[in-house]
Amino acid sequence: MRQDRTGRPPAEWCATPNAMRLNRLVRMSRRDVLLGGLGLSVAGLLSPAQADTQAPAEKDSEVGRFMAVSQRLTDRDVLDSRIGTALYAGIVHANPNRAAKVQALHTLLEDSKPATAADFARAAEHADPALKDVIHEILTGWYRGVADNKVVVYRSALMFDITKDAIYPKTYAAGGPFYWTSKPPEVDRPTGSPALSPSPFVIEPT
Amino acid sequence: MSSEQTLSADVVIVGSGVAGSSIANELARAGISVIVLEAGPRVDRQHFVDNFRNLENKPSYQGPFPAVPWARHPPNQMTPNEYLHTTGPNAEAYQQVYLRMMGGTTWHWAGCAWRYLPSDFELKTRYGQGRDWALKYDDLEPFYYQAEVMMGVCGPDPAKEDLGSPRKQPYPMDALPISYAAQQFRKLIQEKTPYRVVHEPQARNTRPYDNRPTCEGHNNCMPICPIGAMYNGGYSVYHAEAAGAKFIPNAVVYKIERDSANKHVTAVHYMDPDKGSHRVTGKYFVIAAHCIETAKLLLVSADEQSPNGVANSSGHVGRNMMDHTGVQVTFISGDKALWPGRGPLETNVIDNFRDGDWRSERGAYLVHMVDDNQVDLATQLAISKGYVGKELEEQIRYLAAHTVRLFSHNEALPDPENRLTLSKTNKDILGIPHPEVFYKLPDYTVKSCEHTRGLFKDLMGLMHGTDAQWTPGYFPQDHPSGSTIMGTDPKDSVVDGFCRTHDHENLFIASSSVFSTVGTGNITLTVAALALRVADTLKKELAHA
Repeated sequence: MRQDRTGRPPAEWCATPNAMRLNRLVRMSRRDVLLGGLGLSVAGLLSPAQADTQAPAEKDSEVGRFMAVSQRLTDRDVLDSRIGTALYAGIVHANPNRAAKVQALHTLLEDSKPATAADFARAAEHADPALKDVIHEILTGWYRGVADNKVVVYRSALMFDITKDAIYPKTYAAGGPFYWTSKPPEVDRPTGSPALSPSPFVIEPT
Repeated sequence: MSSEQTLSADVVIVGSGVAGSSIANELARAGISVIVLEAGPRVDRQHFVDNFRNLENKPSYQGPFPAVPWARHPPNQMTPNEYLHTTGPNAEAYQQVYLRMMGGTTWHWAGCAWRYLPSDFELKTRYGQGRDWALKYDDLEPFYYQAEVMMGVCGPDPAKEDLGSPRKQPYPMDALPISYAAQQFRKLIQEKTPYRVVHEPQARNTRPYDNRPTCEGHNNCMPICPIGAMYNGGYSVYHAEAAGAKFIPNAVVYKIERDSANKHVTAVHYMDPDKGSHRVTGKYFVIAAHCIETAKLLLVSADEQSPNGVANSSGHVGRNMMDHTGVQVTFISGDKALWPGRGPLETNVIDNFRDGDWRSERGAYLVHMVDDNQVDLATQLAISKGYVGKELEEQIRYLAAHTVRLFSHNEALPDPENRLTLSKTNKDILGIPHPEVFYKLPDYTVKSCEHTRGLFKDLMGLMHGTDAQWTPGYFPQDHPSGSTIMGTDPKDSVVDGFCRTHDHENLFIASSSVFSTVGTGNITLTVAALALRVADTLKKELAHA
């Protein structure tokens, strides 16, 4: 059940529908960011060509700070900076004040150096309850592959990475004839606690 | 603007879904000339697959299928709605969705291919409720089989698992092996309840069939099978075209023309997207445009000869609207991991409540344990609970492996007060009114839903379930039926047992709109069987003409 895109040549993944969506999203963001006068640094980072090919983001750039915050919130050392670039663009496009919130999260991260995602999230909500929303958006981006109510990545969303020993993303099954009759892995009941206060869960209308 | 050239065929069909396209295929193969007028566009599978993958709200079955402006369909099941306007005490329960495009709504069905039970056709005689159909199960049995062969239906061996609808031939394909999750559910039901879980008959390939592949379990039957292992109306379109039938997309029929005696239909008129009007003549006409659009077209065609609408001397066009209203609960099982979502979407059913003496009091129903990939839902739920990092990932895995969704199809009854009319305030870009439906759930259905809720609570207890989320109220199952009801008496019905309109001798209707009652189980196989019976009638009459 491999669905990692890492290592595939850019030309291949640029040709996928998700890449097309990503490029469109980035173009929209660029225009809107320029119109909004939020600064050339963001616009420069988000050009479509760069989004597909750029080297890992610089630590002191906006996306670099977003990546650092994301790594801590996911307890992961490695995240794809191309996806991160697109997620950040989507999150800021949906809500321009998120740029300042990500900056605030990054400052907190640098100042307090939390050891875990849970410590970081608890400290963030304690410092400013409004930071919970942006944390939700960042996690929704990485785990669902969604930002600004748009799909940034589908198969590469982390929710599929962490379940790939059991199940395929819809429309991408590759288990062989009647694979579904076999026994999937057991999953122990988790012992961890929520770090943030609960939020209302609203199922989207069908 | 009118077309210079009048189109003509032996048989003119309005609508290219399962009903219209399968009739076209049968007739064209018999050498009969056929024109099919489809309001929506010609479409292709890959486009919808791409749309699905790029859809943020994945459970939105209409999402990948945007409508064209000249053939609107409901964008979602929300009230108020941009197209299908519902009113009345249970307006939300009738917020149906369907598709107007080549191939019809089976682009996003789950392939469940139930035959009705013999009792479903005789509800009045057996249980004193609703109506009897103007045909019996035995009249339809050969056409059920023909429809199963056409679609490619897999199902259980009746000697091992009798689904209650007598068969003269085995299913065209062996039953689909059920998933691990469904196996566990079946075991639980068998050991802890008096009920049973059966294989659901499905228009889904368990071997290569009709030049289509075996199901690979992409778990996306709704909204779009990515490989065509599941039948949809598009395949009957392709077969019919290969046999010589002419399909015209983007042809919105708005008028049914009759002779001076008002007994014989002489032509239908359609508009193209630029409002150009075209006349199509024929010997026979079949309206196969889905329950809601069929009734709408008959009402829109009202004129001096038929002030209440075509085929409507009874006043029953647009009345008796029915559906399989649903009850639904999602919860977290406390037992071993199930990982629903491996394999096709709907494969197993509790069928104990499809029939019984209690049908004199409350409606029948069937229960699905839906085999739906829950990873996305689990992720949203875990984030909303406040988990982050490693703990979030553990939660996602646990919830995705343990989320169970149960839903039911509950039987409605024909009530003339549940009525489709033309909107007085909303029109499409061609000037055709939107449909409007008044809906009040029959007490018979409400009682059935109450019974289902009790059952679901019991099942949840047996699975040590927590975090129950009940879908509020009653929700539509997108099986609208009854709007041109079948009966023997022209005073209180629209078509006879052969789906011929009582009023117009060469006008037939092929749709769930002719259903006299709605039974349980998805309606599509019965729609197809009725349509193939219409094709049989037309072949015989044209041979003698």
